[in-house]
Amino acid sequence: MDSRLLLLLIILPLTGGVLNACFGCRLPRQMRALLAISSVLASFVLTLICWPLAADGGTQVTLFTWLKSSGLQADIGLFFDPLAASMTLMVTGVASLIHIYAAGYMEYEEDQARFFALLNLFVFAMLCILLADNLLLLFLGWEGVGFCSYGLIGFWYQKKENALAGRKAFIVTRIGDLFFTIALLWLFALLGTVNIAEINLRATELDPLLITPLVLLLLGGACGKSAQLPLMTWLPDAMAGPTPVSALIHAATMVTAGVYLLCRLFPLVSLSSVGMATIACIGAATALYAASCALEQREIKRVLAYSTMSQIGYMFMAVGVGSVAAAINHLLVHAFFKALLFMGAGALIHLAGGENDIFKMGGLKQKNPFLFWLFLIGILCLAGAPLTGGFFSKDAILLTAFSRGDGLSAILWGVGVFTAGLTSFYSFRLLYLVFFGDYRGDKSAHHLSPLLIWTLPLLALLGLFGGLINLPHFYGGSEMLSHWLGVAPALELPLPTEIGLLALMTLFFVAGWLPAHLFYRKYQPEAETPWRRFLLQGWRFDALYERVILQPYRFVANFCWIGGDKALIDGVIEGIGRTLLHWGGYFRQLATGQVSFYLQGFAWGLLLMLGWLLLKAVT
Amino acid sequence: MATWIFYILGAVAVIATAMAVTRRNPVHAVIYLVNSFFALALIFYLLGAPLVAAWEVIIYAGAIMVLFLFIIMMLELSPGEDADRKGPGPLQWLPVLLIGGSLLACTLLMLQLDPGGGQELPHWYASPRDFGYALFHEYALAVEVVSFQLLFAAVGAFYVGRADERKEKMGDAT
Amino acid sequence: MIVPFHHLLVLATLLFLLGLMAVLVRRNLIMILIGVEIMLNAAGLVLVGASALWQQIDGQVLVIFLMALTSAEVSISLAMVVYLNRRKKTVDVRAFDELRG
Repeated sequence: MDSRLLLLLIILPLTGGVLNACFGCRLPRQMRALLAISSVLASFVLTLICWPLAADGGTQVTLFTWLKSSGLQADIGLFFDPLAASMTLMVTGVASLIHIYAAGYMEYEEDQARFFALLNLFVFAMLCILLADNLLLLFLGWEGVGFCSYGLIGFWYQKKENALAGRKAFIVTRIGDLFFTIALLWLFALLGTVNIAEINLRATELDPLLITPLVLLLLGGACGKSAQLPLMTWLPDAMAGPTPVSALIHAATMVTAGVYLLCRLFPLVSLSSVGMATIACIGAATALYAASCALEQREIKRVLAYSTMSQIGYMFMAVGVGSVAAAINHLLVHAFFKALLFMGAGALIHLAGGENDIFKMGGLKQKNPFLFWLFLIGILCLAGAPLTGGFFSKDAILLTAFSRGDGLSAILWGVGVFTAGLTSFYSFRLLYLVFFGDYRGDKSAHHLSPLLIWTLPLLALLGLFGGLINLPHFYGGSEMLSHWLGVAPALELPLPTEIGLLALMTLFFVAGWLPAHLFYRKYQPEAETPWRRFLLQGWRFDALYERVILQPYRFVANFCWIGGDKALIDGVIEGIGRTLLHWGGYFRQLATGQVSFYLQGFAWGLLLMLGWLLLKAVT
Repeated sequence: MATWIFYILGAVAVIATAMAVTRRNPVHAVIYLVNSFFALALIFYLLGAPLVAAWEVIIYAGAIMVLFLFIIMMLELSPGEDADRKGPGPLQWLPVLLIGGSLLACTLLMLQLDPGGGQELPHWYASPRDFGYALFHEYALAVEVVSFQLLFAAVGAFYVGRADERKEKMGDAT
Repeated sequence: MIVPFHHLLVLATLLFLLGLMAVLVRRNLIMILIGVEIMLNAAGLVLVGASALWQQIDGQVLVIFLMALTSAEVSISLAMVVYLNRRKKTVDVRAFDELRG
């Protein structure tokens, strides 16, 4: 098979996006969506066709040399290895479904062309991240997804909150990108190459002292993109974008780019034990933090946003405890069921007449039972109900943490298990509030395009059976994904321990489900307590950043502006100008326009010259 | 004797010039100036430059001053002479008559002192022949340059004079 | 030389100053031009005097050039006087102050 087919993989969405951006306005409405869908779908099919290329250490293909100068060489080159292949398959697949879904969701939208152009460009940029064989191309994709995310969060930019949310996402992720840029340049300075495979190969040459800061910088970049502590504040606000965008970018693909980056550079990352521990701790902390915030959210998409954050925390934890396979497994399964949940939420919002607040929904089960069952599958996966995809993938992570046996890992494991309970609770809270009881809203349902429903079952199946792709031996599986990725399979634990852990996980699942069932089965209005408000506002991190970072920053900026720029620089410059103007006013009067006045000047000059000559003659 | 004539002519030149620059009426000023130039021409003769003296009279007093007069008349700059029909009074014509008379006297005196126009009055003088020789040998290039300059001046004067006509034509067209 | 050279210079200076006075004091464009003529003549007088002093003919030649220059200058400046008079119906130099700052 011609390896150059791989290039088509990224070129197709790019072409679709560019065509839509340039000519979308002139195309018929259906054509815009069709163009976008077909380009992504073609990419998906191509990924399947190219699948064999990933085996045996992957295939590398170069389109052309992008940058070349003393020592630095960055190609537009792709590296299609098992890790990239599985991610690419997931991204193109989920993106195809979401594009189809979006065609229904954005049916009556004015600016369809812009939407689909950005969506296609996003897929292109995301594929750049996944397939890049060097860090520079990866960075191009990294920034590309950031830009598309910005453009899509603020898609309805006429409303100021949306535009502000887009800006916030852009700026916060940019802080992470700064760390990533530093890491990138530093790596280049140390190793003289930006090729990923080479960096991984030569990582051991690096000074061990330098690896930890490098890993921490990379982690900073990953945190920004993946909304982990402390750069997580943008994700809940990013829900201002259209729901397909939330599903694609802020649940399934872009936010997992951080995890992917760490996995991609795992040979380097794993060299630093401190870095690994930090990754795991940040993951666990974010998982717990986000789960606790999700407990009290009122908007359906914000609940899902916090749950996304929490699940990505798990993935970070998996990377931190050294299991790439578990991380990628969870990433894939999570992408399926979270896309399902978001797309279901989009349909639910339509069904509730554009209402976001789950306290004003309720009783939607009667309105669309089929949607309820699909959503239930998503919720079960999220909550980690035994035997669903989410259960296996999460279990694999916790198992890895548990099997490491040191104190830190034990704490991480504990946090993970506890968070799993919380997850179960808020998942079912969402389910009960939305589907059960009576309809509490006052808006009538919008028309529900069949596309909004019929794209979901496939995702539901994938989510439900996603565990099979890396089923541990314990359950009779063969750890396909681990073998495929070529990483060490999970440790085998003694049978009683396995059963004990299984029972524990089930227990926590039930422990989360029961209170939700008791409290929210029947809706009753909740009193607002400070504690609830604290969680609703995401532990008031926004206010904290406002006070700790933004206010001092604004103060300094104001000082520089008023004191430095306006008073000092403008003062000096304008002062010079004014002085000259002032004196110029006097000199101006010399130019009277009267000829005789000028001639007088001549005469005085003549006198002066004569006087000087006289003086010279005398002395 | 020639020295005395020089001083007299110098005094006449200064007085005539002073009168010229103080006149309110430009025509009067030009008349006084013509007298002053005559005095200067005589001084030039005394200093041994008969050709220059002749040109002083022809070019300055003749051509240039007439041009001035011509412009003054054309622009009607002379203040209302015909408003009072009496004509110029003695205060106006007497000084110029005196100056002109003294110049005439000096000229006659000089004619008497040196009737043949020989070399007696000036100790040294440049004959027209010497003058022409110097002009067209040593200064031939300068003569060419000056002739160009005169051409340019003619073109320039022509242009400045025509500028308004063109504007009038344009005005007609619109 | 019939008179000491510096007497000649004094005479020329007097004439020159009178011309300068006319240029500086008078407001009439014609009178200003007349003042210029006077000053040029004073310069010519010095040249002729110098020619007589050193008994060289060059000074007189220069006077010829001076006259040519003067006639050129006068022809153009009088043309401009006509032009200016046509524009503003006056030859008062104070009226032409468009270059005032």
